[in-house]
Amino acid sequence: MKREISITINGEAYEEAVDYRLLLVDFIREVAGLTGTHVGCSVEGRCGACTVILDAKAVKACLMLAVQADGAKILTIEGLAQDDVLHPIQDGFWEKHGLQCGFCTPGLLMTLYEFLQHPKHSDKDIRTAMSGVICRCTGYVHIVEAVKHAIAAVEGMPPEERKEWFPV
Amino acid sequence: MTTTNPWVGRSIKRKEDRRLLVGEGQYLADIVLPRMVMMGLVRSIYAHAKITKINTAQAAAQPGVQAVLTGEDVRHLGPVLSDMNTPNLPGVTKRPIFWPLSIDEVKYVGDPLAVVVARDKYTLEDALELVDVDYDPLDVVIDPERALQPDAPLLYPEWGDNVLYHQHIPAGDPDAAFAQADLVISERFRCHRTGGQPMETRGCLAIYKPGEGLTLWLTTQRPHIKRHLLAEYLKIPHSQMRVIMPKDMGGAFGTKAPLYREELLACHLAMKLRRPVKWVENRQECLMNIGQGRDQIHQIELALKKDGTIIGLRDKILADCGDARTAIYVGFAMPFLGAMYLINGYDIPNVDIDLTCVVTNKASLTPSRAFGSFAGRFALDRAVDLAARALKMDPVEIRLKNAIKTFPHVSAVGVNVDSGDFPGSFSKACDALDYGNFRTKQSEAWQNGRYLGVGFSMGVEISGVPSEVLVPMERQPGFGVATVQFDAHGKVQVAEGDSPHGQGHETTIAQVVSGELGLSPEDIYVTYGDTHAGPFSAGTIGSRGASYTLSAAVLAARALRPKMANIAAHLLNIEAGENDFVFRDGHAVLIQDETQRVAIARIAEVALLSPTELPPGMEAGLEHTSHFEAETAGMHSCNVHAVQVEVFPDTGEYKILRYVAVDDCGQPINPMIVRGQIHGGVAMGIGNTCMEEFIYDENGQQLTTTLLDYHIPSSLDLPHIETIEHNVPSPHTPLGSKGKGEGTPGMAPAAIANALEDALQPLGVKITELPLTPERIWKLIQAAQPQAQE
Repeated sequence: MKREISITINGEAYEEAVDYRLLLVDFIREVAGLTGTHVGCSVEGRCGACTVILDAKAVKACLMLAVQADGAKILTIEGLAQDDVLHPIQDGFWEKHGLQCGFCTPGLLMTLYEFLQHPKHSDKDIRTAMSGVICRCTGYVHIVEAVKHAIAAVEGMPPEERKEWFPV
Repeated sequence: MTTTNPWVGRSIKRKEDRRLLVGEGQYLADIVLPRMVMMGLVRSIYAHAKITKINTAQAAAQPGVQAVLTGEDVRHLGPVLSDMNTPNLPGVTKRPIFWPLSIDEVKYVGDPLAVVVARDKYTLEDALELVDVDYDPLDVVIDPERALQPDAPLLYPEWGDNVLYHQHIPAGDPDAAFAQADLVISERFRCHRTGGQPMETRGCLAIYKPGEGLTLWLTTQRPHIKRHLLAEYLKIPHSQMRVIMPKDMGGAFGTKAPLYREELLACHLAMKLRRPVKWVENRQECLMNIGQGRDQIHQIELALKKDGTIIGLRDKILADCGDARTAIYVGFAMPFLGAMYLINGYDIPNVDIDLTCVVTNKASLTPSRAFGSFAGRFALDRAVDLAARALKMDPVEIRLKNAIKTFPHVSAVGVNVDSGDFPGSFSKACDALDYGNFRTKQSEAWQNGRYLGVGFSMGVEISGVPSEVLVPMERQPGFGVATVQFDAHGKVQVAEGDSPHGQGHETTIAQVVSGELGLSPEDIYVTYGDTHAGPFSAGTIGSRGASYTLSAAVLAARALRPKMANIAAHLLNIEAGENDFVFRDGHAVLIQDETQRVAIARIAEVALLSPTELPPGMEAGLEHTSHFEAETAGMHSCNVHAVQVEVFPDTGEYKILRYVAVDDCGQPINPMIVRGQIHGGVAMGIGNTCMEEFIYDENGQQLTTTLLDYHIPSSLDLPHIETIEHNVPSPHTPLGSKGKGEGTPGMAPAAIANALEDALQPLGVKITELPLTPERIWKLIQAAQPQAQE
């Protein structure tokens, strides 16, 4: 059974008739062809590699059906950079070696995209925010440094520039 | 000849990160081809059973299903194991006989018994549900000690028992040593089943074109090795078998080194269906099948003199290899190497190691970071702490007394350790923890009802594996190899035969090659992972990148310099050779007169685009392939880890307050990448030690097949990991570099267990089993308390 839905991903509208049972993560990866969002568990929501921003909230795209996201605005890892300029979060990960194999990276970047808009940023807050995404390579040490790098960059920005980097 | 390489030792940002940070990496699941179909497996729900009937009709009749095969349909392919993909070790007499799908009998929960191919993964999932299997359950054997009993159920009745492999490793005169001992420590240690488990599961995509042959995109650490084993198994010419690791792979940690049954099936089906066949393992299958390592029991004895000198060691090792049905390692290559590395950083002259590897109704052991060593490192470094306590010695003092002191060192069982410095490493670890004042603080804490402890481990980690070891163990070479090739624009392509997946080769190879050639890392691009585009190589295993592969790249780059100098001299119209030039800032610069210089891009242009300008008689082109084999039977890094904990005895919970890793990577190429490797290795070590366990119930049901049950540490589960460099450059690599990271998890279990036991000294707890869950610690405290109160 199919239903006509429209989902906007990174500013582009995708209108498709999809099976009711199609997972949102499969819509993103297979219908929209945006393979930067990953699947690392048997859709049990534990690995977090599929995390995307859906209407300003970080959600695990394997735990939703595409039809549930009808009308939603989604931001994925592909939508973070502006032209060729990296988002401060991406920049932090690059500067501080916050990734090794890169598989969990989309989940972490999108989780932290929401976190950076929160007011509290202690080490404990950072680790708590990240805990929904499993990284097997880094031991999280460099990721914490990457987040701090990003926080410093964002906090040093004038509000209008900050808004440009966090449109949703 | 040595060079001061200006890019070595610099923490430059990784070249591979740009694409990964914007979601433009290419992992196996991302590859989509026209007419591609999806493959899935029907797996056994019993640990041991006869298959009485498989009804595939309903599944096959589903719209969109292309094929359903059972074991009988693949019998003609022949048994998976052959001489070529089985270890060649002395004493190997048995091997399991099995096919890509199990025929008649299944031997563990997850055992593949039928395969379905369908147009998409949703149709596939439906069809897999419709394959109806009737089983006749058989008795199971889950415990390795039970497997040895005469009335135990047999996995392979033709063997007459469940013993897969046995090896006796004697050295010196252990009986005399034990006879002369002032103290004998005897203890049984058990290490549970845990290991790798990468974030990207396994997968492959097989494409067959008549005349051209098979191309297999595969999540693999060793494309070339897989290629020649796949060609052998599928009986197709080697020239018609191509294996490609996708540009990116989401971790492996040893698990993507074996040859697996699923990839054989995908190849077979691609040839049969003439359509691209893709398989993407789900996490449940991944937890059922790969990354299961360790799982050993050690009955270890140490013979000591009063002054703490260890004069002898005996160890009876029992390794549970599961069903052992994976090619290349066959379940026992890991415990074998672990046994050879048991004495590790200790200089123990008299040893008697007896290794027994048994099969059980569990998944086969697969390689996992700290290959074979994790359990033994736990047992020995724990036993040493027990000895220290019995002798009232400090745990650091007893280790320094028995650590390898002079290098190169050949261990009693013949392992060559090239370089290291244990006293220096201990000194840094103790300084970092303020160990000198710790005992006072600890006593005060005890008086206040707080339980603080410190634990140490020391270890020797492999830095690549030489051909001398790898040829008998895996029938594969250990050399490093790289092709350094100028393009017509003065940029350099380095082709390696390995398949890096997070280790940062694109960056570190660019650093070393650019430094050797007077270029900048941006001028270098590294290709890898494709058997048709790089030299034959053993793959990305055993910390061999910085030791072997990078060394080959350095040698290949250096080999180009004489020709570059000759071309430069010719263009300058002077008589000069290699030693008259330095290569820097993109130029060949004449040492005697620095105004005389030729751009390296110009040299490459002449060699490739404009060969009419070459010196008379010189061959065109500018490329070289080097094979690097160290002039020693083993390169190693020597490390000390120290852990400080606080235990809360009411609940058994504990907190790792400090984790200090003092590591030796020789000359670091990119210190930031080295730190990352250590962090990740320690994290896996802590996870494996404290919270991860593959649990089988008494019926052989695997209870840990989701990431909710198999608990890989999150950011909240791990402490900040402190890294301290204590580098002793290897005398055997051109830059002094060593590999880093493979053995790192092996440092964790003893360091943490020693710290916990140290903290709980007033309660008299003895830790002999892993994992170190709060429940286990609490039970130990409960059991020990009455004794302590007496």
